[in-house]
Amino acid sequence: MSLTFVGGSHRTVPIELRERLAFSADQAAEALARFRRQFPGSEAVLLSTCNRVELYAAAEQQQGPPPPDELALFLAECRGVDPTSAGQVLGGDQGPAAVKHLFCVAAGLDSMVLGEPQIVAQVKQAWQIAQQSGTTGPLTGELFQAALRAAKRVASETAVGRERLSIPSVAVADFASGVFERFDDKRVLLIGAGKMAAETLRYLRDAGARDVHVVNRTAGRAEQLAQRLGGTARPYNDLATELIAADLIVSTTGATEPVVTLEAFLAIEPQRQGRPLVVLDLAVPRDFDPRIGKQAGVWLYSVDDLGQACEANRQRRQREMPAALTIVDEETRRFMGDLHHRSTVPVIEQLRAGWNETGEAELDRLFRKLPDLDDAARDEIRRAFHRYAAKMLHPPMASLRSESHAGPPHGLLDALRRLFDLKE
Amino acid sequence: MADFVSRISVVCFAASYGVALAFEVTRLWFRSGVRGATMVGFVTAGLLAQTLYLVWRAATVTALPLSSAFDWYLLAAWMLAAGSLWMTLANPRTPVGLFVLPVVLGLIGAAELSSREPFPQSPATQIWGIIHGSFNLAMSVAIVLGGLAGSMWLIQAGRLARKQAPLQGFRMPSLEKLSLWSSRMAIIAAWAGGSGFLSGMVLNAVNRQRGLLETVPWNDPVVLRMGMLVVWLIAAAIISRAVVRQASGRRITAVLSLISLCLLTASILWGVFGKTRHGMPPQSSSSRLVIPARRGDA
Repeated sequence: MSLTFVGGSHRTVPIELRERLAFSADQAAEALARFRRQFPGSEAVLLSTCNRVELYAAAEQQQGPPPPDELALFLAECRGVDPTSAGQVLGGDQGPAAVKHLFCVAAGLDSMVLGEPQIVAQVKQAWQIAQQSGTTGPLTGELFQAALRAAKRVASETAVGRERLSIPSVAVADFASGVFERFDDKRVLLIGAGKMAAETLRYLRDAGARDVHVVNRTAGRAEQLAQRLGGTARPYNDLATELIAADLIVSTTGATEPVVTLEAFLAIEPQRQGRPLVVLDLAVPRDFDPRIGKQAGVWLYSVDDLGQACEANRQRRQREMPAALTIVDEETRRFMGDLHHRSTVPVIEQLRAGWNETGEAELDRLFRKLPDLDDAARDEIRRAFHRYAAKMLHPPMASLRSESHAGPPHGLLDALRRLFDLKE
Repeated sequence: MADFVSRISVVCFAASYGVALAFEVTRLWFRSGVRGATMVGFVTAGLLAQTLYLVWRAATVTALPLSSAFDWYLLAAWMLAAGSLWMTLANPRTPVGLFVLPVVLGLIGAAELSSREPFPQSPATQIWGIIHGSFNLAMSVAIVLGGLAGSMWLIQAGRLARKQAPLQGFRMPSLEKLSLWSSRMAIIAAWAGGSGFLSGMVLNAVNRQRGLLETVPWNDPVVLRMGMLVVWLIAAAIISRAVVRQASGRRITAVLSLISLCLLTASILWGVFGKTRHGMPPQSSSSRLVIPARRGDA
């Protein structure tokens, strides 16, 4: 009864090779069908994301699943990659190390963006594909269930995946939401059509923003962007009017000079009648004169400001790593304990069957000698025998369970077999 | 049951709020899955104990229920604790207790230092006494809530101005919400304070006219400080309304609310440690209409 994994991630495999080793859902199903034919009796789950390709295998038989080298060769053959070059970068592990690796992966601790939550869904999907392909079994079943449990614990008990890391998400959730309680009654102005505009607007829409106006030097692009983002295009000449009406501005132009100077802002500022203004200046060079941010009621954030907040969040996530790894270690120990305990089940069953068999034989003999006993008395005596057997079996079973936490209890199992004359 | 309730003391609910506050403070250092529920549990336990305590006092004092300075502070603390619990349940990620519970404990402390003797009453002026006390209670609670909203506004604005992401476990409400709270509370405090002062004047006038109880002179320290506080509250409410369309209007409102809270604190301390004829039994023995009070509290 053992577990093996082989694979590579963004840490170990260059992107060119990772692209060639990646499996689509259909390709993963095909590969697993091939695995089933090639390694009957072994269970397997193939996890393939843009950052990693990993094959987890397990077997309950004595000889165990194929070794990591053989699995690496299998992966390379499935994707038509030169086995030598794949073998150089693919690594693997067995037993507790393999289990811990999967738990770290599922919890996002091995991800490119520490604690990213998408990996949980990808692990679930990998499990579903393997289940549909018929390569799962009790071992991988328990392993992946335990991995999802570990991921859930890490997510709920640490802040490893809590802090936001992308500039648009930090801009909206940590800053704009700090100023405004709601966005459905706010007017959003989009200046320019930079690449971060759409993503920022997506977060704003999720937060409830509905009234979006787009201003661009090229009217056609403004129309196009407004149509795509569900906003209203406004002529560039109306910029001053739009600045007066806006509550939140996202600016992403490619202009080399500030689009809104301090003087221009001060000219329209009285007409804003003291309404707070949030400006997310995501352009480089900046679209808004930084001195505008010093004005009362104006909250101006540049890419650098938001980038620093993202970095601080990243460091906070990193600080949560020890707590997350402690959880992973606990869950690994718990899983391995359960796994080792599973290996004792045949011995326990033999032991229990032996006791029951002897007990039943003794009961038959007793009942033959006491034919006057009624059914109620017989049932009572039978129950007493079973209770006695259960109590006698309890200490060895408890010892086996506690030994299982430290590793496979081979010594105890061997002793039990010899003491009670059990078969291998 | 009555035996159990009679054994509830101020220490019981003060300790519950204290433990809840200690849990709330730990938000600043580490995350915990059970802290929120534990904190809510302690505030609920404290609130329940305080409710039973106040009910017991109301039932065992023959004078008008809860009409001593001691009861008045405890009622204010009870209202704030209930508000804190409600706000914590509605906004679990906001450290409401961190701001409200110290005030609750402060009011309980003020209660402990205050007289437990009911204010002297006569049937003819009882209703004016209730109106006067209720408006003053509403004013105090509104000032505290407004002041706390104002201080949260200043902390949140400072964080946003420094361009820092929110601290773990220390996520404040938005400036928009805090600004709304502080401006509304400023208006409520001004109305309640003004009404409380006027009803106090009426109460005093009725007493003087009918010769029922000893009247409070205009130069009594309590009358003076309450008068000044009410004037300040009305001025603060007017200024808040006047600057609402200014870019710095929200900051001004937050600062004014915070000043109001400081003035109320000073006023309470003055009341606790200063000398006054306000709410005192008459010095002469002519007040035969005064309902005798029996101490219902050990």
